[in-house]
Amino acid sequence: MSLTIENLGKRYYLERSSEDGGGIRATLRAFRDRLLRRAAPAEDAREFWALRNLTLSVDPGTILGIIGPNGAGKTTLLKILARVTLPTEGRASGSGRVVSLLELGAGFDADLAARDNVIMNAAMNGISRSEALDRLPGILEFAEIERFSDAPLKHYSSGMYLRLAFSVAINMDPRILLADEILAVGDLAFQERCLQKVEESGRNGLTVLFVSHDMEAIMRVCTKVLWLDKGQVQKIGDPEEVVGEYQESVWSELDPARSERGRQSSRFAAIRGVKLLNADGSEIGAAPLEQDVFVAIGFEAFKTVSVKGAIDLNAHRQLVFRSQDEDFRELPHPGLYELRVRIPAHLLSDITYQVSASLTTLREGQGRHYRLNAYDALSFLAYRQNQGVEATKRRPAKTGLLAPRFDWDVKEVTPVGA
Amino acid sequence: MAPEAVRASAAGAPDAWSIEPARAGAVEMVRELWRYRRLLWFFAIEGIQGMYAGTSLGIFWLFARPLFPILIGSFVFGSLLEVPSDGVPYFLFFLSGMSVWMLFDRSLLWVTRSMDQQRNLLKKLYFPRLLVPISAVSRALVYFFIYMALIIGTAIYIFVNTGRWYLAVGPGWLVAIGASLMAILSALAIGLYTCVLQTKYKDVRFGLRYSMGFWMYLTPVIYPISQVPPNLRWVIYLNPMASVVETFKWSLLGVGQLPVVPLLSAMLVVTIVGAGGVRYFLNSEAASVDDM
Repeated sequence: MSLTIENLGKRYYLERSSEDGGGIRATLRAFRDRLLRRAAPAEDAREFWALRNLTLSVDPGTILGIIGPNGAGKTTLLKILARVTLPTEGRASGSGRVVSLLELGAGFDADLAARDNVIMNAAMNGISRSEALDRLPGILEFAEIERFSDAPLKHYSSGMYLRLAFSVAINMDPRILLADEILAVGDLAFQERCLQKVEESGRNGLTVLFVSHDMEAIMRVCTKVLWLDKGQVQKIGDPEEVVGEYQESVWSELDPARSERGRQSSRFAAIRGVKLLNADGSEIGAAPLEQDVFVAIGFEAFKTVSVKGAIDLNAHRQLVFRSQDEDFRELPHPGLYELRVRIPAHLLSDITYQVSASLTTLREGQGRHYRLNAYDALSFLAYRQNQGVEATKRRPAKTGLLAPRFDWDVKEVTPVGA
Repeated sequence: MAPEAVRASAAGAPDAWSIEPARAGAVEMVRELWRYRRLLWFFAIEGIQGMYAGTSLGIFWLFARPLFPILIGSFVFGSLLEVPSDGVPYFLFFLSGMSVWMLFDRSLLWVTRSMDQQRNLLKKLYFPRLLVPISAVSRALVYFFIYMALIIGTAIYIFVNTGRWYLAVGPGWLVAIGASLMAILSALAIGLYTCVLQTKYKDVRFGLRYSMGFWMYLTPVIYPISQVPPNLRWVIYLNPMASVVETFKWSLLGVGQLPVVPLLSAMLVVTIVGAGGVRYFLNSEAASVDDM
């Protein structure tokens, strides 16, 4: 067994507002209670379990995909295994080095050159400087950045960053590799090499835990898939089967637990799901910047109504833009529909976006509008495809919330009076 | 992460690990710190580089920042108020006191901010978190070396101009190094509490900065302990930093007396507070990183 998880649980306390005694006073009060050995007040309804009673074991060589809606506990699980956070109960055990690739750029210092970053990462994995230097050529070669090894990372493109991060992680001789979403980005050629490397290491007993919203990538890579929901195992097994069932549930399930996050159904209609599609209409998990993508709001109309859709695109907790249909669209009859909005190529930036969708319905003969909301219904990463080293060499490291391509022009101006 | 870094379970392979709600014991903690020791260097260098990153007069500030307050301070206290200085030129006396006091002061402030400043890394990667406050001392050490350079420079200047040499040469320096270590350890002892609290309450740093001003006046930095009536000296010596500063000046300038008993009691206080600090830190770091 390369990894055994028994009854693992993680409890978080939701932030208290200062009104009900948060902040320094509550802490002092808790401290006094502890000194006086008073029992803690039994309330604490604000606790919630990000993960609970999770039990599973993973064989060596497995590439385990972890899927589930936002807040299902996927990231919490990886964070516990990476020892960034402690579990509240249960245990996880295994053997060998665990290397995590949880966030692009974590553990890298943008002011240092690739070489120094490799040494620092090695130190974080308990590998000595001399051993790190031995591995350096192989790491740089796999990442295809030999020529930039002395440049500080802040001049790197996100593609180069990703290649370096992956190359460092895989070269630390992990027995377990934890990857959160980032394997799904980067150019396809590099993705292919990553997967080859992962498979190759899998034969030598490397176990990979791979969290992604990109179902296509999950099915391509994983040998087994774990579907988490509300901190518990919903299903584990064959990738196609689990992914298929998961997608079905996302699409059809009217989730009552989400009602506090916005009303998703009325007697006229119900939002069934929000997806990201490519031009062919197939669902994708990450948006290539060079292509048009579509956000689809799937809904069911119970009556003959007119509908108007809107999406809010958020990033870094800011509203990037709201796009709203110009007018109501009449539906011919009740049934399942999909509203699609095209997001043109060369508009998004290579960051992660969250989408909230809303659907306003209007029933003929009734003046009232009903508005349905699905907050944070979709989250996706936009990435630069075919990112060759040459093309990205001079790309500035700064990224805005959008990176639109505009028309530029140069014109000769005749001076006045000439 | 590193297999060796994780508590080995009783059975199974030598590199087996297990993750449980409870933290590993003290022995394991020390072993883990040792395994990750190389990170200390990286954090320390990173901190120092960050001090004057982006300023165009980097090196200039490094010397100017400590020097100007000393010049003004020695003018006010030494020349205007004529504070006695045990027969040593006041500027040199003040500089020596300040060097070790500032080592304490800066260390404490940087340690207090350290967890907060590394929050991004702490939330994403695992390493023994004690490395963060410990490495934060590096910035204060840079200042300290600059002070030392100023002290030696001043002593040479005085020697050239008056022919008098004030610095003690010899084994006394070892005592000075010991006193500097005490200053760092005192700062860490308190900092282990404050750096955890700082992640939650931003007031901690300001409160601390405020009280450090008072604390300095309770410490014989701008005045020699010989100016305090002998029957009241024990009050001053209740403050561990008083004996640290006096010891430092005694070993460096050969003035005053080595405060043996107060020094021993200061060591005791720092050990107790420090041990409690390590315990507090280890018990609360996980929760505070979760809350970040």
